[in-house]
Amino acid sequence: MIKAKGVSLRYPDGTLALKGIDLEIDTGELVYITGPSGSGKTSLLKLLMGIEYPTSGSLKVMGQSIAKGQEGNIRRLRKRIGPVFQEFRLIQGRTALENVMMGMRFLGIPCRQAKENAKSALTRLGLEHKALSMVENLSWGEAQRVAIARAVARKPRLIMADEPTGNLDHDNALIILDLLTSFRDTNTTVIITTHATHLIERQENATFIRMNGGNISVERRGKAYEEYLV
Amino acid sequence: MKNTLYNAPYFMKEAGRVLWQNRLSSVFSFLSTGLILFILAVIVACWSVGNLLIKTMQDEAEISAYLDRDIGTEQVLELIETIKGMEGVRDVQLVDREAAYGRMKEILGDEAGVLELFEENPFEAFIEVRISLGELEKITERLESLKGINHVRNNREVLERVQSITIGLKRLGYLIVTAVSISTLVIVSHMIRQGIYNNRVQVGALRLLGAPESFIGFPFVLAGLLLTLAGGLLASFVIVFLVNRTYSAMAGSLPFIPLPARNQLVSGLLLFVSSVSILLGVLGSMFGLRSTK
Repeated sequence: MIKAKGVSLRYPDGTLALKGIDLEIDTGELVYITGPSGSGKTSLLKLLMGIEYPTSGSLKVMGQSIAKGQEGNIRRLRKRIGPVFQEFRLIQGRTALENVMMGMRFLGIPCRQAKENAKSALTRLGLEHKALSMVENLSWGEAQRVAIARAVARKPRLIMADEPTGNLDHDNALIILDLLTSFRDTNTTVIITTHATHLIERQENATFIRMNGGNISVERRGKAYEEYLV
Repeated sequence: MKNTLYNAPYFMKEAGRVLWQNRLSSVFSFLSTGLILFILAVIVACWSVGNLLIKTMQDEAEISAYLDRDIGTEQVLELIETIKGMEGVRDVQLVDREAAYGRMKEILGDEAGVLELFEENPFEAFIEVRISLGELEKITERLESLKGINHVRNNREVLERVQSITIGLKRLGYLIVTAVSISTLVIVSHMIRQGIYNNRVQVGALRLLGAPESFIGFPFVLAGLLLTLAGGLLASFVIVFLVNRTYSAMAGSLPFIPLPARNQLVSGLLLFVSSVSILLGVLGSMFGLRSTK
């Protein structure tokens, strides 16, 4: 699913965000990227989404190479993933349903089918009663769930969520994490960045990527570890 | 193509939203585009009338040969026969003093009262010679050399003046067309740039979700197109009204100026205005989109 070899990322201001990381993630894995603020979590996720390009090394996500000059490949990749952005990037002045449908309009899905998918995603996230509410009138947690619904309604094979528990209280954060991890059941790879390690430390059958100063350490637990060994 | 069909209602809604978000700007853009297209339509209408006027005058090229005062009827008849035999002459007709008076009275219409100020008929008899335009100079020279002809007058000067006015009008028209096109392109592209800026969050989100640029840009192109089409519609209403009023007014006071058939002129203008508004709308939107990349 994801293969990174010696990937570094240096920003134009000279900051070295990632230092020659090697990483492999398989289909169906649940991956937590953790670490303190500024450790490179979001930078790694930006690379995986094709928002940033590696300054050295090679990176492939779902078979598509992430590199400068590969914009066509990156756009194709973005169509196949389900991104949940830290700041949600929901479109104001539209309903929750319209926002969820927006992510599918250019995928060649007939309008009726897209609407069905959107409704079913909102229902799964407990927001069926808010489908016709304007997103600016939703609470933080509801808006977060709309952003997740937009990502999963496309039925992606890879979901990437950047700090989905940020600004949420303990209970709501757990609900969001449970929702995201539940998509793993459909053999979808789920990657979540979070600095709230206390919420995930007891998680079994998951891969933990710990970021520190642009370096990573990978720990696979339970089924994830066994499968990795195979 | 499949995506465009699936999303046609979405694109229309988004285009409407772009226009509604900048409604004040949209209204002014609509009015200025309408005014610009109206000016363009007026220029084209003037070209059309000017061209027809020249063509008619060319078709009706004629020479008036004025006779000596003491000429006899037999001599006049002989002159007519001689002129008829000249190469390039299409028709020859004697216009006596009474007929000349009658023609002027008809031309002056309501103002014909001024003729009554003369104690006697001030007009002279003449021979009206209708010719092919190419033979104008040659026939004029030959007529001037005939005995019994006092002097000759042709409509060359009038024709040349009308031609020079039409050429001037055409040059002015090209200048206006260029200015009008540039202004419309600037107005529309500015509108689109503003629309994209106002929707930058949406544009950014769609790019991150993998939407192609054509999908992102289509509502903005549609908004520009709708704007110029609405402007074109406004210009069409005004120009049709103006043509109808002008035709009614000219039919009464200036009946001798040839005008193109009203329906033909109106349909031609409508086709022209709608084509130009579509073209300028699409081009302006494309420029606006391109300049934001």
